[in-house]
Amino acid sequence: MSTTPEPINRVTVEERLFSLVLALIATEIGLTKADILSTVQGYRQRYVHSGDNASLERQFERDKDDIRELGIPLETVEQPDDPGNNRYLRYRIPKGLYELPTDVSFSGDELMLLKLAATVWREGSLSAESRRALTKLNALGGADGDPVLGYAPTLRVRDASFEPLSKAMDRAHVVSFLYLKPGEAAPRRRQVAPRAVVQHESRWHLFGTDLDAGATRTFLLSRIVGPVVVVPDLVAPESGPDAGQTALAELDALSAANVAEIEVLPGSDAAVRLGKRAADASGGAQPIAALVLHYTDLNILADELSGFGPEVLVLSPPALRDAVLDRLLRVRDAHEPLEVRS
Amino acid sequence: MTPRVPLGAPDKLTFLLSLVPYLIDHDGISVTDVAAHFGVAPERVRDAVTLIAVSGVPGDTSQYLPGDLFDIEWGQFEADDTIVLTHLVAIEDSPRFSAREAAALIAGLQYLSSLPENADRDAIASLMAKLSRSATAAPSQLAVSARTSGDAISLIQSALRSGVQVRFDYLNARGGQEERYVDPLRVESVDRDWYLRGWCHLRGAVRTFRLDRMSALTVTDRPVTSRTEELVLPETLFQGSESDLDVVVELAAGALPLLGDYLSGRPVQHLAGDLVRATLRVSHYHALKRLVAGLSGVVTVVEPAAAREIVRAWADAGAARYSEPAAPSAPAGPGE
Repeated sequence: MSTTPEPINRVTVEERLFSLVLALIATEIGLTKADILSTVQGYRQRYVHSGDNASLERQFERDKDDIRELGIPLETVEQPDDPGNNRYLRYRIPKGLYELPTDVSFSGDELMLLKLAATVWREGSLSAESRRALTKLNALGGADGDPVLGYAPTLRVRDASFEPLSKAMDRAHVVSFLYLKPGEAAPRRRQVAPRAVVQHESRWHLFGTDLDAGATRTFLLSRIVGPVVVVPDLVAPESGPDAGQTALAELDALSAANVAEIEVLPGSDAAVRLGKRAADASGGAQPIAALVLHYTDLNILADELSGFGPEVLVLSPPALRDAVLDRLLRVRDAHEPLEVRS
Repeated sequence: MTPRVPLGAPDKLTFLLSLVPYLIDHDGISVTDVAAHFGVAPERVRDAVTLIAVSGVPGDTSQYLPGDLFDIEWGQFEADDTIVLTHLVAIEDSPRFSAREAAALIAGLQYLSSLPENADRDAIASLMAKLSRSATAAPSQLAVSARTSGDAISLIQSALRSGVQVRFDYLNARGGQEERYVDPLRVESVDRDWYLRGWCHLRGAVRTFRLDRMSALTVTDRPVTSRTEELVLPETLFQGSESDLDVVVELAAGALPLLGDYLSGRPVQHLAGDLVRATLRVSHYHALKRLVAGLSGVVTVVEPAAAREIVRAWADAGAARYSEPAAPSAPAGPGE
């Protein structure tokens, strides 16, 4: 089999990947696939000279994807005299694009803040990316240990569609999913080019171009039912760098335009908690009976207000009043005493 | 905070690539100091250094000759557990962030900008711009709106720094108002909900309080009495207690995440179609009624009957307000 003295398969995955990165950074002109497979640690032990290296080539393809996923700029260079010929494609990692730009530096305070920002995603989505970002931040120095004493802030994503949507956005894929709009009896399939995924008022939203409507739309992730699938052969149009802020600004404008008037029982949980959020709350020391709330989504506010039971009475708009009453009646009716079986 | 998930090859590779520039900047540092800085076990640092020391590039001969490899002061490493790099290959500086890594940090920063000490929007904006330039590709468009959380956090932070108690009126879920004196330990949050965790002098135990349920919050001149360094805060915000009540509910399997913190560890029972039965743990039924009434058409309480009745009465009293005459009088809350 192999003529090399080293035992086969003793090289760990991280040693192979590390050796590949070092080799590709060290080369100016790039290495061909044959160069890599025959000389780089972790491949060369399994390389068969003038034989079949198909599984090793597949290994290299996977490693390439993994390395790019980490933000390492692995480039392919075509031979000018023989473009399109895969055999002579060369691979390299330009050092200047791999390293942090020389004119970027972070102060101690900035590093501390960034390390705290990395801990925000401690569970679920983006936790792996945050963990690696934290490792890279640690490479830059800064203070040790727990970043900012006394804080443990968390962002949480419970929507299964967050992961596929944000990945599709990164890859400029168009996606399709079933979306259940409140008030509609059945979900409808939408084709969307994702432009931003934003959290507003604790809810995650997708901001994107609805290809059927030919216009920008905002979708609540919690109303996406069923899987998000990538639409093949469609490439999302280039989106501006500020799509996220645009989406948030639109949601803020929507919230400012939607006004609900409610009455709360003085001293109740509703009075204390909603009072702090109310648009006209002035310090909140005095009991306020009537409050003005802004909202982006009537149904979400209706759910929240229903939870307060008799502590809240909706005065306007009528649609919100009806929605809350309807919810309370449904809860009441669903909890009538069960028939006692004997 | 050391992650407890098993680390895959991408994490290990990132560690190796980050460790090299750090070691260059910290010549002769001890293994334990490196471990503390990166928040990993010393053994992981030793393994990584050992691997780095035998790694390198194929070189002109494609034979990985000594000059093609990193090298360390082996004697110092083995005898004193300290690290000195004596030969470098290919890399010297820290790697850039990936688009998603930068996006996670930027979204995290936007979220943190609601904290009082991060109110300097210009500083945050310049930091975000630096991050964008430090990523290999344009950061993914993830954004988080920052809601200003009022004065409460500033007050609690100042009490924390001065080592004094805070005082506030706190509504419990039953609707009762209680005056609390608390040694503040940590401010935590989940999305837009902010919490204070601290030693409650009324209960004589560590408790979690919602900031938006506090009123008349003040910083006192009473020194804290608990030895905070001896108190171990549990990882989860809410802990079950002996007196918790079990409640069986029915809901669609897809809605289970909505009950997150309330779910008991017990396995769910699958019914016809998508329906499941799950067991919740609640401190009392008055917390349950608020939860269930806010999830109309999603969750139904199955048993015990007393819990069903409290939920029914709560919704009924709520609905009754809409049939009141124009000037409603305060209705009697059920259950108290």
